This record gives sequence, structure tokens and C-alpha cells, in this order.
Amino acid sequence: MIQVQNVIRNYKAGETVVKALKGVSLDIGDGEFLSIAGPSGSGKTTLLNLIGCIDALDGGEITIEGQPVSGMDKKTKTEFRRNNLGFIFQTYNLIPVLSAYENVSFVLSILNIPEKEIEERTMRILKEVGLEGMEHRRPDRLSGGQQQRIAIARALVKNPKIVLADEPTANLDSKTGEEILKLMKEMNRKYHTTFIFSTHDSMVMDYAARLVLLHDGQIVSDERR
Amino acid sequence: MKFLVVLACKNLTRYKRRTIITAVTIAIGLMLFILIDSILIGVDRESVRNLKWYETSSVRIMATGYWEDRLMLPLDVSIDDPYTKVQLLREHGYDATPRIMFAADLILYSEDFGEDGNLPVQVTAVDTTLDNTVFRFEDTLLEGRFAESGKNELVIGSWMAEDLQAEVGYWVTLVTRGNGGFFEAMDMQIVGIVNCPNPNVNRSLLMVPIDTVADYLAMENLATEIDIALPESADTDVEAQAITRLMAESGKGTTVMTWKDLAGDYLAMMQAERGGSSTMLFLVFLIAAVGISNTMLMVINERTRELGMMRALGMDDRSIHWLFMLEAGGIGLLGSSIGVALGMLANIYIVQEGLDFGFFMREMDMAYRVQSIFRGAWSLRSILTTFFSGIFLSMLVAWIPTRRAIRMDIPSCLRHQ
Ligand SMILES: Nc1ncnc2c1ncn2[C@@H]1O[C@H](COP(=O)(O)OP(=O)(O)O)[C@@H](O)[C@H]1O
Ligand SMILES: [Mg+2]
Repeated sequence: MIQVQNVIRNYKAGETVVKALKGVSLDIGDGEFLSIAGPSGSGKTTLLNLIGCIDALDGGEITIEGQPVSGMDKKTKTEFRRNNLGFIFQTYNLIPVLSAYENVSFVLSILNIPEKEIEERTMRILKEVGLEGMEHRRPDRLSGGQQQRIAIARALVKNPKIVLADEPTANLDSKTGEEILKLMKEMNRKYHTTFIFSTHDSMVMDYAARLVLLHDGQIVSDERR
Repeated sequence: MKFLVVLACKNLTRYKRRTIITAVTIAIGLMLFILIDSILIGVDRESVRNLKWYETSSVRIMATGYWEDRLMLPLDVSIDDPYTKVQLLREHGYDATPRIMFAADLILYSEDFGEDGNLPVQVTAVDTTLDNTVFRFEDTLLEGRFAESGKNELVIGSWMAEDLQAEVGYWVTLVTRGNGGFFEAMDMQIVGIVNCPNPNVNRSLLMVPIDTVADYLAMENLATEIDIALPESADTDVEAQAITRLMAESGKGTTVMTWKDLAGDYLAMMQAERGGSSTMLFLVFLIAAVGISNTMLMVINERTRELGMMRALGMDDRSIHWLFMLEAGGIGLLGSSIGVALGMLANIYIVQEGLDFGFFMREMDMAYRVQSIFRGAWSLRSILTTFFSGIFLSMLVAWIPTRRAIRMDIPSCLRHQ
């Protein structure tokens, strides 16, 4: 489903060039629950951004559903993300002035889905992530874990093929983090959505069905368990 | 789109204080704009009115060739049989009056003025009964009375009287050349001082009876001009054409000009003064624009990560532009509403009471034919334009910082603190 082939990404930081990814290759199948792990600065975010079509390749190719990413223009990428990808961020990135409900439903609004269906789907997914009865609360009146649940609902509500989560538990205590991982795993099983999440926390790695270890911009191990 | 409107509205309430401060900045800018504009329009309208009422009338008939030589104030380029023409005009519903303009030396005597002196002046000889049907000096007497037909009497403008320290009852002599070139001296007694709303007239007016002067200057049955008043609603150019045809029927040798032709100098100076004023208006608008652009820069900077999230989730650039334009437009709407409301409220005072610039006008030689009190005028079109420009400009100002945020790549947006 996703083919990462010999991907290179360099960043220019003034005079010097930082080689963030030095030829990474990876095949990801449908419905995988995959963790990209590695120490800080190893290139996890860079790799997720490239798969997520929000960053540009310097070499190699990424093919998603048979579609090469390097050939897409800005507009196509935007459309592609809108239709196929869900994102979960370390800092949740919710819109503070919107309620839990609105934070989720706007994803469907920009897909021009009819109002009635938006309501149904939003309410259902909020219930599934355990936020029933809190639909009208704003993020500032919810805990970190609850906010990340909104983010999971926001990522899943459009039934995307792939959800990308960059260190989704890094801002949470370990107990809450585990709950979030369990929820993600449950959703992965239920909807057969491909989850790719990064982490540098060994507890989190334990939840992965497949663990890809990055070090210094290169894959050093890739194991399924 | 509905989502964008909801989000924009909610974001405006997110930073209430900032929204209000920015809106108030815009409001103050627009209020000043409305008031300055009102005064400019008011002063312009009043200037034109005062020009017509005390200087040019609406339409003037002159002998052909007079206009070209007008600075010489020639007596030999004059209109024959002015009263026949005035009569014809009156039959066609035009209020008209003949005048003789001439140059003279005004001689002052020490008995009255304290010391001897003389100065070159321009004298206006008027028909003591007809003149008031065209011009509006009737209610402008500050002291004394108007000159009477056939008498050696003189009415003088208030500022000139002040400058000369002239008073009612004083005697002066006007030395001039009559029609044909002979020298003539006329002793005249000042019988009245007029103070009209037109500063130019107060500064220079010397008014004598036309029949007295005609006798002295060999100008019987001649006039240098016939002045015509038109009602406010009349189309000056159309009427001027009708008058031209009328004059052509009654003989040749006359030229018809409208107040716009006659006041060309005034209009040119007005243009220049307007230019200066529009710089001021521009500055006022700039205050509002800087206020909103600063706010939008702050807003967009603070929400860079949120923007990155929305873009990652597939919101297109157009929607993001719209979002911030709606937010800026919301602030603009608020500011414009307050500004227009306050501006209209303050304008009630400006229109009814006006602002007193008397101290200023006496010293300055401005083109405006307004004496001291500057009154505003209502212009619905101008107020509506201001209102919508406030909103539109606010939206426009949001464009640049939004574009900058959109040009930033998404990972950088997401990393933004
Ligand atoms: N925009 C950037 N400009 C310069 N260097 C960058 C940029 N983004 C990432 N890097 C560098 O690339 C390397 C990989 O970064 P990243 O993918 O964020 O690692 P991780 O997510 O594993 O911590 C790091 O050395 C980082 O400093
Ligand atoms: Mg990272």
C-alpha cells in the first residue's frame, strides 16, 4: 500500500547540510499498526511528513496506493491529504475556540459532506473514542488525554486509509499514553486503518505490531511481532 | 464556507480586547475621515454658493473681448443697452442686473483717516434696485445703509474698512479714467459697511450706484457686465446656452460665461487645497490600516501551528485566505459600524454649528469663500463609501500576512511555537 524507496531528505541549515534521511526504504501494508522508533533527531518526523505529503523529497520515491508522491503538485497533495490521510500531533493542535464536536466535524465540512451525515458520523466517532457527553466542551475544559481523543476522532472521522501520528503520547503521562495507544489499536482493528506512529518511548514501542527503528536517518531494524 | 464563518466569528471573540482595540482604531480613523470629508464637502458647497451670491453670480454676460482684457477693467469693451437686455432676460424668467466694474485710485484724507494716502482699488457700480435680485448683499450690512441711486455714496467691505480704519460718514475720492480716457475724480461718502460670508468680498468690495458712475465716466446706457442668478436646481450649462441664444437674437457682440468659467482661478486653487486635504485623509486611513494589519500579523503569527494543522488536514489556501479575510472583515465591520455611527453623530454638530476657523481665515489667503465658520455637509454616498471601504480595506490588509503564512511549508508551521 505504501512503498518508501530509497528516500533522501536533506535540510540546509545555513552553510551546513543536515542529512535527515539517508536512503530509507520501507513497505507498509494495509491495516498495519506500525511504530517508527528512534532517538530524538533520528528522522522520525521527517519520514512521517514525507509519507503525509506535507514535505518534499530530495531523492527516492514514495508511492501510496500506486500513486507516486513526487509527481503530485501542491493542489493534488492537498486534495490527497484531505481525502486519504488523518493526522495526530504530539501537541494535539485542536482549535481552542471550537467545541470537541466542531473540532471533529470541520474535517467533514471541508469534504462537503451533507450536514446530516456530518452530525451522525461525528457523534458516532466521539462516542467511540469515549467522549460521549463532552461534545460541547472546548479543549481547555478537557484533560490532555481527552484532547488527544478528540484528535483521534478528528483523524478517523473521515475514514482515512492512513493515520499518521507523530509522537502522540509524548505530552501525556504514561498511564494516559497507554490508554491512547489502546484506543488507537482498537480503532486499527475495527476499521482496518493503517496507523503509523513515531515514538522514542519503549513502552509505546511495545504496542506496535511492527517496529521500525531509525537511527541517524537510516533504518537499523524492522521487525514484526 | 459556513464553517469558515463560524470559525472566524468565534476567533473574534477569542481575543475580545484586541478585537475591540483594533475596531476602535478603525472607528476613530473612519470617524475622522467622515468629519474631514464632511467639512471639505460643506466648505466647497458653501464656497460655491458664496461665489455665486457675492462675486460671480451664476451666469455673466460680457462684451465679446472683455474677458481677455478683464485685468485692465476696460470701459470701452462694454455692453450696449444693458437695460434692454436685462428686460429681455427678465421676460424669460432670468433675474439679471447690470454692473460696471472699473479701476480707480482711492484717495484717503487726513481729516478722516488721520493721514493722507491712496491705494489702487477695483470698484463695483451696481443698480441699487436690481442688484439685490441677483446678489445677496441685502442682509450683510454691518453698519450704515446701502448707497442710494444717483448719490455719491459708497459701501465698503468690512475687512477693507478695518484695514483702512474707515468708518461710516468718511469722505474719499475715486480717481479714474472715464470711457474715452479722460481723468475723472469722484468724491464719495462711505455710507455703509458690509460683512458677507465671502472673505474675498469683505477684503476688496467698494460698491457705488451705477447711475452716479455712468454720469461721471460717460457710461450712460452701457455696462461692463450683466449678471444673472439661476435657481439652485438649474443646470448652469443648459441655461447658459439658452441665454447665449437669447443674446444672439437681441444683437451681437456679447459673450456668456458661467460661474465655473469665471471662477477658474478659484476652482484651480480648490483643486490644490483638495490635494492637500486628501493627503490628510490618506493619513487617517493609514492609521486604520496599520492598526488592522498589525493585529492580523499578530493573529496569524500566534495561530501558525493551527494553520499548519488545518493545511495538513487538507484545507486549501483559498479557504485559509477566506478565513483570515473574514476575521479581518469582522473587525472591519465592527470598526466601520462604530466609526460611521460616531462620525454621523459628531457630524450633526459639524453640520449645524460648524467649526470656527475665523482666527485663521483672516490671516490666510485661502481659496475657500467661507468666512470663519466651516460647516460640514451630509453626503450619504461619502458615508457609505467610507463604511464599505473600512470593511473592504480591512479584508485586503489581511491578505499579505496570510499569504506569507501559506508560503511557509507545513512542517515549519507545525513546529512553530
Ligand atoms: N527544517 C529543518 N531545518 C534543518 N534541520 C532540520 C529541519 N527539520 C529537521 N531537521 C534535522 O533533521 C534531523 C531529523 O529531524 P526529525 O525528523 O525532526 O527527527 P525526530 O523527529 O526523529 O526527532 C535532525 O537532525 C533535525 O535537526
Ligand atoms: Mg520529531
